[in-house]
Amino acid sequence: MIQEKYFEDVNVGDAVIELKKGPLQKLQLVMYAGASGDFNPLHTDDDFAKAVGMKDGVIAHGMFVMGCVGQAVTSWVPKNRLKRLGVRFAGMSKPGNTITISGVVTDKRVVDGENIVTCSVVAKDEQGDVKVSGSFDAALPSKA
Amino acid sequence: MADLSKVGTEYPPIVWEVERGKIREFAKAIGDFNPIYLDREAAVKAGYKDTPAPPTFLTVPMMWCGKMPDFINDLKINFMMVLHGEEEYEYYREIYPGDVITGTPKVTKMEEKTSKSGSKMDMITLEVLYTNQKGEKVAKARSLLVERK
Repeated sequence: MIQEKYFEDVNVGDAVIELKKGPLQKLQLVMYAGASGDFNPLHTDDDFAKAVGMKDGVIAHGMFVMGCVGQAVTSWVPKNRLKRLGVRFAGMSKPGNTITISGVVTDKRVVDGENIVTCSVVAKDEQGDVKVSGSFDAALPSKA
Repeated sequence: MADLSKVGTEYPPIVWEVERGKIREFAKAIGDFNPIYLDREAAVKAGYKDTPAPPTFLTVPMMWCGKMPDFINDLKINFMMVLHGEEEYEYYREIYPGDVITGTPKVTKMEEKTSKSGSKMDMITLEVLYTNQKGEKVAKARSLLVERK
């Protein structure tokens, strides 16, 4: 079970997440296509992907990588504490890539009686190229 | 080229019944083996009513409803030139197996921008507010689509 995090224990500048995913496999993209309902052949059919200019073939669904970011976030804070998750799709992920997701606390404040922590989050491949960047808000309990 | 006069358009609701198996399948496809998604007992032990939907699960009703190509056509966006620029979810309540989720898609913003390299693109924001069978707001999804011109 994910350990509860307390507002008092979290500080701006803290590194909060470290999750490594991969290497990405084509089979995962097939599974994700079926699970999500996104059947764009760019993600599952090498011939199609090459025909539209992807020289190495298929690329991952952006939403698959966001799903991995969601996994990373909810391995730091319990899922029912998550209030918002937003990302920008910055680069394409390919089979063989190993994606590392990390995050840093950027703000903490009390809003309408809720203890809100905001963190930046970024997913990079083994070369350090950014695939997805974004942020999330979580409402944390207080020890008091 | 996107028809910028379509800003404010609302599309017919997306209705989706959430199944336990779909939650498990979606979590496993991501490679997220958090037991709260896979096992009802583990979820209850962790303080949930049942196995909750993972953070990006709302892509499932959006993609499986098959309406995205209709929205793109209606907005006069060239499908071959469109990129998914951003995605954001705000969470209000958990989504559980058996919930019937209704999403109301609305085009909230359309604007032309010029990139640093001087190429023009249309930025289209689609927001979907999701409610459950009790009429409670469960989440809001915001998608930014970028059409290169």
